Amino acid sequence: MKIEILYPEICYLYGDLMNVEYLHRCLPEAELVRTSLKTPPAFLSGDVDMICLCSMTERAQELVIEALRPHREKIIELIDSGTVFLATGNALEIFIKDIENEDGSKLEALGLFDLTAKRRMLDRYNALYLGKFGDIDIVGLKSQFAHAYGDGGDALFETVRGAGRNPEAKPEGLRKNNFMATYVLGPLLIMNPPFTKYLLELLGAGDRPLAYEQAAMDSYELRLKEYSDPKRGFIY
Amino acid sequence: MGRVRFLIALWGAKCARLALKLLRRNATYFPGFLALKLCPNFLRYVGKPKKIVAVTGSNGKTTVSNLLNDVLTGRGHRVLNNQLGSNVAAGIATSLLSGCTLFGKTKYDMAVLEVDERSSKRIYPYVKPDYLIITNLFRDSPMRNAHPQYIASFIEGTVPAATRLILNADDLISSGICPENPRVYFGIDRMKTDVTKCVNLINDVQICPVCCGELEYDYRRYHHIGKAHCTDCGFKSPESDYFATDVDTEAMTMTITDKDGGMSYRLLSDSIFNIYNVLTAVAALRELGLTHEEIKAGLDKTKIVETRFNAQKAGDVTVVMQMSKDKNALAGSRAFDYISGLPGKKELILMMNCIHDQQHWSENVTWLYDCDFEFLNNENITRIVATGPRAKDYYLRLLFAGVPEEKIRCTLSEMDAPALLEYNAGESVCLFYGTDALDLVYRVQGKIKALAQEASGR
Repeated sequence: MKIEILYPEICYLYGDLMNVEYLHRCLPEAELVRTSLKTPPAFLSGDVDMICLCSMTERAQELVIEALRPHREKIIELIDSGTVFLATGNALEIFIKDIENEDGSKLEALGLFDLTAKRRMLDRYNALYLGKFGDIDIVGLKSQFAHAYGDGGDALFETVRGAGRNPEAKPEGLRKNNFMATYVLGPLLIMNPPFTKYLLELLGAGDRPLAYEQAAMDSYELRLKEYSDPKRGFIY
Repeated sequence: MGRVRFLIALWGAKCARLALKLLRRNATYFPGFLALKLCPNFLRYVGKPKKIVAVTGSNGKTTVSNLLNDVLTGRGHRVLNNQLGSNVAAGIATSLLSGCTLFGKTKYDMAVLEVDERSSKRIYPYVKPDYLIITNLFRDSPMRNAHPQYIASFIEGTVPAATRLILNADDLISSGICPENPRVYFGIDRMKTDVTKCVNLINDVQICPVCCGELEYDYRRYHHIGKAHCTDCGFKSPESDYFATDVDTEAMTMTITDKDGGMSYRLLSDSIFNIYNVLTAVAALRELGLTHEEIKAGLDKTKIVETRFNAQKAGDVTVVMQMSKDKNALAGSRAFDYISGLPGKKELILMMNCIHDQQHWSENVTWLYDCDFEFLNNENITRIVATGPRAKDYYLRLLFAGVPEEKIRCTLSEMDAPALLEYNAGESVCLFYGTDALDLVYRVQGKIKALAQEASGR
């Protein structure tokens, strides 16, 4: 099994890279491929099982879009053929139509989903997140400058408390086949062992124990209880 | 009209300051806050000293400001400062109004002002520094500060064109700020403990700022601090105008050289942050025209008050208090690195939780996975107690860092944590704590000391 991490030298914020490290500890036999800006992505050769992209700075978003734009059609092909993608934090914005700055200027993104992210650089949004992925409860955190607006198609999570793609939306993130993108931080996979189990099965790893499963479940259950408490404030 | 409004604001704020002082309350923020409320352009009108030195950056700004203040006042300058107060616009306004006459004329010939990076836009357009020292730029709270480039953006574009910058050549984030401004750099030569490969999770400068090629580090001190060059375009770290060599933490000396020669200086602390702080202060004082001899004489009379680290004996056990700013992965990493490197066996309690956050929401713990808990996977660390509302998150993070399960204890109740340690003669117990809930921290410290005394009496 091969897992590709795109551009870890610039996509490394908010502990997100540990999602991939956690997956690797659950799947020690998997090969991790770290693709840098100066090398062609491994997915071009077609034998990658999962592609990960993590949170980044606003400048890094420009570099990543520039690096991936020539491979847009290949990415569409991979999504259509069921390759697993996981984009977390503002990596979601790489795949949407565009990112709009406060002055009205726009950064054209890959345009795979019909959403526009609107940045508010002096109005950082910090909040807790509680949602559903089918029957699975999802807990996590949000810490971001932008929200996404528009009809982006299917959501990854259905919001129970907190903001979806934007504070007024219940749908959170993006889902198309096995392409998954979400603003939810955590790191998502460490904070949500049931979702990680789902992901491992999706990758064909079967029903196997997670790394540090008991400790991860204890932490998850306590957080789920906290976030489900209606008295708990959600926005920082 | 502007001038009248200013005078009303000044008199109102001066009265507020006097009233607060009579009530023995802290008068370092509110008077300036009131002045800015009554007159939003207050900072434009209030009298300022002829020479202004501003000190900003993620780490070290308080220490550097204090060192500058001590040396300059020691040489007879009347230096206005915000040493005891806030470093945001209201704090700066308080300092300036307290240092001026009833008609707004300053009584000082120089100011050394510590400035919060995020407040740059509200301060520098009016309080134009002759010198701006940027100690470094690192990650801080993910919620407030996002990432260092975001913080740099607050400084960029607000610094007056004539301001001379005093920058850290070893920090590729802050050293590139405001490229059109006049500037000098300070830096430290390769040290014995330097490495080339990054051992930290936070590594914020991996690509060339010019061509995005791969950066190669000639040496690296921690995180992105070090000397680097680009293998593609030839970009490299700037050369230092004030260069520290022969840093000797046993003899507690270093040599600082500039275009006029060098001088051996006493280190005021063996921590690398404080070595940088002394170097930064020397560079700034040289820029202000002092000779090496004058600076050395001044620094020899000063000391760095260590507020983040404290060690006391309780019976046969050393009780170490190590502050680690909450939700700050970099502060945690530096604290873990420092404590794990101290000689001798030690047991730890981790309670850097944001207790106040827990009262109304739940702490953002993404920082745990940017922080080098891996330093705690060390054979000299015999036991770690994770405690507080996020104890289970710490427990999981410690397992992730490779700390053996049998070394870790976990309790949600901070007051129960001390009883989970053993207190062995000749060893240390270290309490890592955050900046909020200090009352609770002192109660836990008291219990640790009592248990250590009791164990020593057995």
